[in-house]
Amino acid sequence: MTRKQKRLSVIAGGLGFLAVAVGLTFYALGQKASYFYMPADLANVTLEPGQRIRLGGLVEKGTIVRDQGTEVEFSVTDTERSVKVAYSGILPDLFREEQGVITEGSFGPDGVFVADSVLAKHDENYMPKEVADSLKAKGVWQEETQ
Amino acid sequence: MVEIGHFALVLAFALALVQSVVPLVGARTSNSRMMAVAEPVSMAGFGLVLLAFAVLTVSYAQSDFSVANVWENSHSLKPFIYKITGTWGNHEGSMLLWVLILTFFGALVALFGGNLPATLRATVISVQGWIGAAFLLFILATSNPFARLTPAPIEGRDLNPILQDIGLAIHPPLLYLGYVGFSVCFSFAVAALIDGRIDASWARWVRPWTLAAWSFLTGGIAMGSYWAYYELGWGGFWFWDPVENASFMPWLAGTALLHSAIVMEKRSALKIWTLLLAILTFSLSLLGTFLVRSGVLTSVHAFATDPSRGVFILCILTVFIGGSLALFALRAPSLTAGGLFQPISREGALVLNNLFLTTATATVLVGTLYPLVVEALTGDKISVGAPFFNLTFGPLMIPLLVLVPFGPLLAWKRGDVLAAAQRLMTAFAGTLLAVLATMLFIDGATVLAALGIGLATWLVLGALTDLALKAGFGSASPGTMLRRLTGLPLSMFGTALAHLGLGLTTLGLVGVLSFESEHILTMKPGETTEISGYVLRFDEIAPVQGPNFTESRAKFSLLDAAGKPYGEIVSSKRFYPVRQMPTTEAGIKTMGLSQLYVSLGDETADGSLVVRIWWKPLVTLIWGGTLAMMAGGAVSLFDRRLRVGAPARRRREAIEPAAAS
Amino acid sequence: MLFWVIAALLTLGASLAVLLPLAGRSAVRAADGAHDLEVYRDQLAELDRDAGRGLIQPAEAGEARAEIARRILKAGKAAAAGSVGLGGGSTRALGVAAVLAVPLVSWGIYTAIGSPDLPSQPLAARLEKNPADATVDELVARAEAHLAANPQDGRGWDVLAPIYARLGRFDEAVTAYSNAIRLDGASAGRESGLGEALAGVAGGMVTAEAQAAFSRALQLEPGQPKARFFLASALAQEGKVAEALEAWQAMMITLPPDSPWRGAVAQAVQEANSRLAAAGNEAPPGPTQQEIDAVASMSAEDRTAMIEQMVAGLDERLRENPRDLEGWQRLVRSYHVLGRGDEARDALKRGTAALGQDSAEGRQLAEFSTSLGLTAAE
Repeated sequence: MTRKQKRLSVIAGGLGFLAVAVGLTFYALGQKASYFYMPADLANVTLEPGQRIRLGGLVEKGTIVRDQGTEVEFSVTDTERSVKVAYSGILPDLFREEQGVITEGSFGPDGVFVADSVLAKHDENYMPKEVADSLKAKGVWQEETQ
Repeated sequence: MVEIGHFALVLAFALALVQSVVPLVGARTSNSRMMAVAEPVSMAGFGLVLLAFAVLTVSYAQSDFSVANVWENSHSLKPFIYKITGTWGNHEGSMLLWVLILTFFGALVALFGGNLPATLRATVISVQGWIGAAFLLFILATSNPFARLTPAPIEGRDLNPILQDIGLAIHPPLLYLGYVGFSVCFSFAVAALIDGRIDASWARWVRPWTLAAWSFLTGGIAMGSYWAYYELGWGGFWFWDPVENASFMPWLAGTALLHSAIVMEKRSALKIWTLLLAILTFSLSLLGTFLVRSGVLTSVHAFATDPSRGVFILCILTVFIGGSLALFALRAPSLTAGGLFQPISREGALVLNNLFLTTATATVLVGTLYPLVVEALTGDKISVGAPFFNLTFGPLMIPLLVLVPFGPLLAWKRGDVLAAAQRLMTAFAGTLLAVLATMLFIDGATVLAALGIGLATWLVLGALTDLALKAGFGSASPGTMLRRLTGLPLSMFGTALAHLGLGLTTLGLVGVLSFESEHILTMKPGETTEISGYVLRFDEIAPVQGPNFTESRAKFSLLDAAGKPYGEIVSSKRFYPVRQMPTTEAGIKTMGLSQLYVSLGDETADGSLVVRIWWKPLVTLIWGGTLAMMAGGAVSLFDRRLRVGAPARRRREAIEPAAAS
Repeated sequence: MLFWVIAALLTLGASLAVLLPLAGRSAVRAADGAHDLEVYRDQLAELDRDAGRGLIQPAEAGEARAEIARRILKAGKAAAAGSVGLGGGSTRALGVAAVLAVPLVSWGIYTAIGSPDLPSQPLAARLEKNPADATVDELVARAEAHLAANPQDGRGWDVLAPIYARLGRFDEAVTAYSNAIRLDGASAGRESGLGEALAGVAGGMVTAEAQAAFSRALQLEPGQPKARFFLASALAQEGKVAEALEAWQAMMITLPPDSPWRGAVAQAVQEANSRLAAAGNEAPPGPTQQEIDAVASMSAEDRTAMIEQMVAGLDERLRENPRDLEGWQRLVRSYHVLGRGDEARDALKRGTAALGQDSAEGRQLAEFSTSLGLTAAE
C-alpha cells in the first residue's frame, strides 16, 4: 500500500466507526427515549403494551394508600384526569400530596401505571419542568412571585 | 464592610476590560509596554475578586442578613461550617467562586509565564480577560451576590438541607477548578489562533493545565457522585442526569485532550486537532454551566432557576463558542502540520483513544440535548435516561477499555501490535483466570458479570505490565530493575496509575451492577433480617434534636453469621423546619471494599418502619479508582519534562538575562 | 467614610497596575523563536532517552531527529526575521483610555448599583442592642432564638404564632400554630388561627386544608366566630354565595353585640347581597363562564377584605407600640396603595408625632412619604 492508500484506509476506518456510532445513537434514541405525558394526554395516544413512559403531574390529595409493606398506591392528576400509580419502594423525601412528581414505568394490563421510579423535587422551590410547563398551560399552577 | 466587597467586584470588572484589550493590542503591535500590563492587571484582578469573595464569606459567617444572598441561603442556627460553605452553595456565590478560580488561573499564568514567548503570554492573559469580563458582567447584571436588603430581615431562609453536607462543600470548588482550568487551555488555543502560529512550547504549557484541570474535574465528579450516593438515599451513584452529563462531557473531552496533547508535546503532531479539542473542552464546560444555571433541562439537581440568567449565559456561550470556532475555521488551515507516524504506533493508539472519547462525548451530548431539540421541533416531551446511555456509551467504552493496555506498549512513530500482544500475555492469562474464577466460585455470576470482572482485571494487570516491562522485569537483576524504575519519568508512573485507577473504577462498577442485592421490607424494633451472610437487627428508633433540624434516628446492629456483634449502623430521617424539608441520612457500613447501605422510609400504619437495605459489593472502588486517576494526574504534573523552562529556570534567566537567547 | 477611603485606595491601586507598566521602560525581550529552540533541544534529549528505553525503534528515532532538526532550522530563520512594532499616537491614546477606564467604569457602575451608605449588619451585633430599641422583627427574632433552643416550648409557639400572622409571615405562622397544637394540644383558638394562617399562605383563599382546620375549631368550640366567618368565606369563594350569605346572616343573629366580628360580618353580608343582586339582574344564560368570573372577582374582593383587615391590625398595633418606623412606613404605603389618601396622610401625621418631627426616623418617614407623593400638609 502506498502512503496515500494507507491514509485513505485510515480515514475510511474512522468514518465507518463514526457511521456505526451515529447509527447506534439513533437506534437508541428511537428505542430508549421515553415520552412524557400528563394524565390528560393519555386519552390522545396509543401506547404499546409495556411501553415505558414518564407520567407527570400532581399527587392527588387523599389518594396515597400504603399497605403493610412497601407497596404504595397513589393517583397522579393534572386536575382533568387522574391515573392510578402503583409503586414499591421508598418514596423520595419530598413526596407529598399536591406536589409535582414524575413517575417512570409502564401500564399494567389492569390500567394501573406500575412505576419503577418516582422523582419528586429536591428543592422546595423546584417543580419538575415538564410538570410545571404543562400545568401552566392548563392554568392550574402559577409561578410564585416573591 | 460588605460594600467594599461589592466595590472590589466592580473594580475587578473594570480591570478585566482593560485586561481584555490592552495586552492584546500590545501583542498585535509588538508594543512591549502594553503587553507588560497583562501581568499586574491579572494579578490585581485576582486580588480584588478574592477580596470580594472574602467579604461575602465573612457576611455568611456573621449572618449579615442585610445581604440578600445571605438572607436567602443562610440561617443563624446553621452549623458554622455550613455557614461558610453556604457561600458557594447557591447560584450567586458559586458564580463568584467560578470567577475567583478563573482570575486565580489568570494570575498563575502571569506569575509563572516567564518562560512563555511574550506575545503568547499577553494574548493568553487577554483572552482570559474576555472570559473574566463576560462572567463578571453576568454576575453584576443578573446575579449580584452583594444585593442589599433594607431594612435587614432578622432571620435567613436557610440553605437547602440536602446541600448542608460536607461532600457538597468540597464538590463545587473541585468541579470549578476543573471546568475553569480548561479555560486556560482554551485561552492558549485562541491565542495560538490569533497569533496564527503554535510555538513548540505551546503543548508543554497546555499539558500541565490540562492535567491539573482534568485531575480536579475527576475529583469533582467523583465527589458529586459519592454525595449523591450517600445523601439522596437511593444508593445510586450516577443517574445520567443532565447536570451530571454536563460535568461528564468536559471530562470526556478533557481526557481526549490530555492524550492528544501528549502527541503534540512529544512529536509536534496533531496540533490542529489538539487546538480544536481545547476549544471544545472549554465550550462543553460553558455548556455545562448554561445547562445547570438556566433550567432548560429537567434535572433532579436543578437550582431554582431564572430565565434571564439563562439567556445571558446563552449569549456568553454563543459568543465564545461561536467566536472561537469561527476563528478556528479561519486560521487552522494556515497552521503547519507536525511529525509523521504510522497508523500502528503510539500516536495512532492515542488518535484511536481520541476517536472513541470524542464519539462518546458526542453521544452524551446528543442524549442530553435531544429532549430539548425534540420539544422545540415537535412539542413532544421526552426523556433520555440510563437505557439510552447504556446502549450507546457502553459499546463505545468497552472496546476502548480493552485497547487501553496496548497503548503504552506501542513504540512511537511505528509500533508492533503483535509484539505488544505478546508482552501482554501474562496479563491476558490473569484475566482469563479472573473470568473463570468468577464463573466457578461466585454464585449467581452471569457470563456478562464475569467478563466485566475480566475487563477490570485486564486494565489493572495491563497497567502493572507496562511498569514491569519498563523496569525490565524478568530480564534484569532486581537492583537494575529498581534503578530503572526510579529512573523512569514521572509521567510514566502517572499513566500507569491513571490506567490502574480506571481498572479499579471498572471493577467497582461491575461489582455493584452485577452483584448488588437489595431488600425492601418493613421492620419493627427487635426484628432481624439477613443480608449477604450478615444479620441486621433493628434495635430502636428515637427522636434526636440537631442544631437546625430534628431527626428520627434508627439504630441497627450488624451481627455476623455466628450471631456475634460486628458493628452498628445508624440511619435517620431529618426534618429541617425552616425549609419544611425532610432529608434522608443513609446509614453506611464499609466492610473491606464493600458497603452495607441502610435507608429509612415511612412508618406504616402499624408502627413498623419501611427499611431499604442494599449490599453493595466493591462499591468503594468506584471512587477509589478515581482517586488513583487523580493521583496519576498529579504525579504526571510533576514530571520534569513539563518544567522545561518552568519557574526554576525563570529565576536563572532573571540572573543571566542573556542565557535564553 | 472609611468605605470611601478604602474604595479610593483600591481604585488607585488598580489604576497603578495599569499605569505603571505603560509608563515603564520598554523591556528587552527574547525573540519568540528562542523559546522554541529551548523546547526542541529538550525534545532531542528526550528522544535519546526514549530510544534507550526502546520506546522508539532506531530507524524511527532517526526520522524523528531529522524532523526536529528541520524545525530547529525553521525556528532559527523565524527568529532572525523578527517583527517591527507600531508605535505612536494611537497606542498612547489607548493607554490613556485604559488608565482612565479603571476609575470611570468602576465608579460609574458602582454608583448605579451599590449601596455605599449601608453598613454591615452582623446578626450578633444586632441582637446585642437594647430590647427597647429593637423593632418588632428583632423581638420576634429573639423569640425565635429562644424557641430554636427550646423547640418543645408550646407556650412560646402559641405566643409567637399570632404575631407572625399579624406581620404577614403566614408560612411561619402555620409552622408556629402547628407546633403549638402538637405540643400543647388543639384548641379552638389555635385551630382557627392555623386556618387563618393557611388561608394567608394561599393569598386569602380558604383552601381545603384551612377549611379542615376551621372545622376542627368548630368541633372544639361550636360557634367560634373566626372559624364560622372563614368557613362562610370558603363557601363564597366556591361560588355558593347564597349559602355563604345564609351562614353570615346566621352569625349576625348569634354574635354578641360587642363582638369584634360584627363589622366584618356585616360587610360580608352586604357584599354577598350585592353580588347576588348583580347575578340576578344579568340573568346568566349559561352558568359556566359567568360562574368562573364570579369566583374570580369574588376571591379578589375577599382578598381586598383580607388586606384591609391586616391593615387595620397594623394600625391597631402602631397605636399600642408607636415607635416603629418600619411599621409606619408600611401603614402609610398600605393606605396609599388602597387609595385611601386621607387615612394615609393621617397615618403620616400620627407617625411623625410618635417618632418625633426632627428625629432621624421622623425625617426618614417624611422622605419615604414624599417618595410616594404624600406630604403631611396637604
